[in-house]
Amino acid sequence: MKNLTVSVCLFMLFATTASAQNYIVNVHGMVCELCSLGVAKNIRKLSFVDAAEYDDGVKVDIQNQMVFVAVRDDASLDKQALFVAIEEGGYSPVDIWRITDSGERLELQ
Amino acid sequence: MHKLVMLLLLGVPSTVALAHQPVVDMAPRWNGGYGFQTRVEHANSDTITWLEGVYTFRPAVRMTLKIPYTDDGLGSSIFAIPLKRYKNAAQYTSNWGLTPSVRVPTGGGSDWDGGLSLSYSAESVDVYQLYDLHILGDRRGLDINVGTVHSDGQGSALFTLWDVTAVDSDSGQRVLTGPVLVYFKRNIAARLEYKLSAYDDDDEWSGNYLSFTLGIVY
Repeated sequence: MKNLTVSVCLFMLFATTASAQNYIVNVHGMVCELCSLGVAKNIRKLSFVDAAEYDDGVKVDIQNQMVFVAVRDDASLDKQALFVAIEEGGYSPVDIWRITDSGERLELQ
Repeated sequence: MHKLVMLLLLGVPSTVALAHQPVVDMAPRWNGGYGFQTRVEHANSDTITWLEGVYTFRPAVRMTLKIPYTDDGLGSSIFAIPLKRYKNAAQYTSNWGLTPSVRVPTGGGSDWDGGLSLSYSAESVDVYQLYDLHILGDRRGLDINVGTVHSDGQGSALFTLWDVTAVDSDSGQRVLTGPVLVYFKRNIAARLEYKLSAYDDDDEWSGNYLSFTLGIVY
């Protein structure tokens, strides 16, 4: 929970320039940036990702095992596609939250 | 003994380098990932340059090809299929690996050698460890890497590891130990190893071991 709080705070820090749709995914096992390059690579291929945000639409936080994903205003998140992209990157997505404009965290089912 | 003589004639002395791991022993672990590395190792007054490649079909299945060059030309290449079973947990990732390999006489001769490795590796944000039991031709070995990870959170990290390598072959036994440094920034990685000879009862081995690896993954 502490790690998640830190991640949300970090997100708030970046949120001033973020698009309307931003998500955080908790990814088990993602503890090495070299090994997790494929996670970001696969997510960037998804059509709904907003490449203008973060680092081409994705930010990886290995300290807290979180991936930040920006989704274009004119697109919708495909949670299943996102989770498959992470799994094919070698790791295990667990939970996903949407971050509202006010910084509130809403867990997606 | 015949195999050792052949190897020496082919300019491929038996070194301590692992023959079956992907780029700097770590990447890529994603579907369709691939990488290349050059490894220069110096031991027994000889220098070998390895050109190595890896392709990851999916995290559980990869293939690697390692081609050695010496002053005498091309040596015997090693082709391997690392198979890994991963466990991803909240604060770490680990895997068991089984790697069949074959040494192909690309530098001449006709001897083929088979190999097999059983490995376990675990990594957290701060700690890395690898244990590897392997056999290739007449060589049987144990390799251990344990140490700490220092990530800057900006796409680069430094691994400071300690290595213990024990080898038993037809020519005798030896144990080498020493530090390993691994550094990466984004998709480029480098690895430096220096191993001191702690025990040497090997007719074909003398002295310490030094290697430097530079690799890239996509």
